Amino acid sequence: MRQQYAVRSTIVVTGLALVVFAVIVQIIRIQTSEQAEVFLSQGDRYSGEFQMFYPERGEIYDRNGHLLAGNRTVYEVGVSLREMESPEAMASALSSNLNLTYDEIYKKLTESPETWEYVVIQDYVAVDTVEKLKRLVEQLDDADDPRLSGLAFKPHLQRSYPENALASNVLGFVTRDGRGYFGVEEKYNDLLAGNPVQVWVPRDPNKATEIPKVPNGTTLVLTINRDLQAKVESILDESLSEYGAQNGTIIVTNPRNGEILAMATTPRMDLNNYGNYFSLYDDGSQYNRSIGMTYEPGSVFKVLTMAAALDAGTVAPQTTFIDTGAIVVGGITIQNWNRDAWGQQDMTGCMQHSLNVCLAWISSQMGTQAFYGYMERFGIGHPTGVDLSGEAPGRLKRPGDGDWYPVDLGTNAFGQGVAVTPLQMLMAASSIANEGKMATPHVLYAMLRDGHQYNVPSQYAGSPISPDTARTLNEMLAVSLEQESSMALLPGYRLAGKTGTAQIPSDYGYDAFHTNVSFVGWGPVDDPQFMVYIWMEQPSTSIWASETAAPVFSRVAEQTVILLNIPPDVVRSQVTP
Amino acid sequence: MQGQATQIIHAYRQAPWRVQRQWVGVFLLVVVGVAMVAALYLDVTARTAVTGREIQELRVEITTIQRETADLETQLADLTSTTAMQRRALELGYRPVQPGELDYVTVPGFAPPEPAILLAAKDTSPQTATIPVEYSQSLLEWFEDRIKFGGTP
Repeated sequence: MRQQYAVRSTIVVTGLALVVFAVIVQIIRIQTSEQAEVFLSQGDRYSGEFQMFYPERGEIYDRNGHLLAGNRTVYEVGVSLREMESPEAMASALSSNLNLTYDEIYKKLTESPETWEYVVIQDYVAVDTVEKLKRLVEQLDDADDPRLSGLAFKPHLQRSYPENALASNVLGFVTRDGRGYFGVEEKYNDLLAGNPVQVWVPRDPNKATEIPKVPNGTTLVLTINRDLQAKVESILDESLSEYGAQNGTIIVTNPRNGEILAMATTPRMDLNNYGNYFSLYDDGSQYNRSIGMTYEPGSVFKVLTMAAALDAGTVAPQTTFIDTGAIVVGGITIQNWNRDAWGQQDMTGCMQHSLNVCLAWISSQMGTQAFYGYMERFGIGHPTGVDLSGEAPGRLKRPGDGDWYPVDLGTNAFGQGVAVTPLQMLMAASSIANEGKMATPHVLYAMLRDGHQYNVPSQYAGSPISPDTARTLNEMLAVSLEQESSMALLPGYRLAGKTGTAQIPSDYGYDAFHTNVSFVGWGPVDDPQFMVYIWMEQPSTSIWASETAAPVFSRVAEQTVILLNIPPDVVRSQVTP
Repeated sequence: MQGQATQIIHAYRQAPWRVQRQWVGVFLLVVVGVAMVAALYLDVTARTAVTGREIQELRVEITTIQRETADLETQLADLTSTTAMQRRALELGYRPVQPGELDYVTVPGFAPPEPAILLAAKDTSPQTATIPVEYSQSLLEWFEDRIKFGGTP
């Protein structure tokens, strides 16, 4: 009996041993077979996935820490096709909450390629909509109803502009592909966007990888003062309505360092609805007229001519000119704005009465080499280098150019036949307010990265005139405003400035009925802390800048001194050593 | 008498059941040893897996918190936007100040403040933290390291 058990035991053990042996042999065979490498590579392939970690786009603040551009949570709504139970119910639920029809959603759910496991129904869905859908899913889950199983919500960030259209021309916008267009968003796109990092992330929790360092995009602090920007935009809109102008621009800067404090243009766009771009603008140059559009500035240009002539020694403030009402330059007769003869005038009188004949005489006395040399030094015909995307260079015809004629020397002196952007004019004129030095206009105050703030130093764009010339002309322009009893004056503050009424060139010569009106001014004269440039296109209530742009300057200056806490001259004189 | 006792003891030691018991004991010792190593390995592996999962969850949490922070900052900016603040001020009975209504106080030596460093400058991005090798190393890898580097991994 015992022997029988022994035989049976031996047979069973031998059988099991053979099975084990066969298993081992099979294991070895599989491990060393030709297909083993294929299986191993397949295993490696599915052991993890490459994930792209996108940094959060840097924010944009104004100089006082108000957020101008941030990021908002939105959702990608999708469906896991393997988990989906009822495409009909899913399409019905989603169509009643998303801006898609039942058929569109049903088609996506049922006609996706078989290899697809997940299908995106809609991206950039607002939080409110997703909350509604989530509540619906919860209700069905509570009732053990699987009809919406597989519905997934993936949150991510989208660019958001809390101030909507405020400073839209300065900020620019970001499309859904994450690229910035216009303004700061385009100019500093690389800094704001940061650098995405791709990392292999294993699915095996035993192989926990280190979290990749994905620094957020650089946060920018602008020189813009949000409150001043809002006020200036408001004044611009009211002024365009009051004077019947088509479009306009107002820029406020600090002439000492080139900081742009406000830059308002029309039309402005709600940056959260950048799809309106094509309905608002015919081309990119209109997005920010301050830097993108050029025009013949008219008499505001006379400040540059006078500055050049004073600096070159061609004239002095006391130099007299007998105005006969006409002067011939290059064979063409040039007349004053009212075609009158103003008789004997000193240089302050020429500026005060804005005499074309006088300024054409001055440029003729200077000669082409000196006059255009100074215009070059003022940066006319060149981009200012402002850190905004889309700046136009303007155009200054020079002797030797095919389209330059000798009469241009005379007309250029009073701002006709030369094309500039408002910001170019502002930068050139800033030399008069800033002791002869021009500061490059800029909007970037500081960058914030890795917990540090890097302030951006101001850059000077040259010294086209001497400090003495600047001080002299500064005083002349202040006196001319006062003697003219200009509408640009502001009680309590001594200001300097110049109007500009310019004819508009067309294919058939100059438009006889419409003008562009401008004003460049600054204050307080003894310590210029702000500088304003105004351009309004084709006002209908009056063609003269003295009746349109000048009072707008006064309004802007009034709000600027309030918001920048600039006391009246009397108060400042008490504390100034 | 003494030789007889020695023979009995010798016979007792050589008893078949005693030899079997010794073998069983040795076998059980090996089994217990293997079980202990297996349990230790299982424990370490399980803890590594749990820690790895926690890291994954924390990573998701960090991303979520960063996103929520950015979202809340934007919501706050919405509530304090120029338009919203002007509306609230008007509702509370305020009106824009006129130049003649301002009084300036002379403060010798006062310098207007420059824009301050913003709170947003704080680095909220995850720092590169080196995960200790204990969190990702298996027991066998630990043994291998010990053999290779002699206790100084």
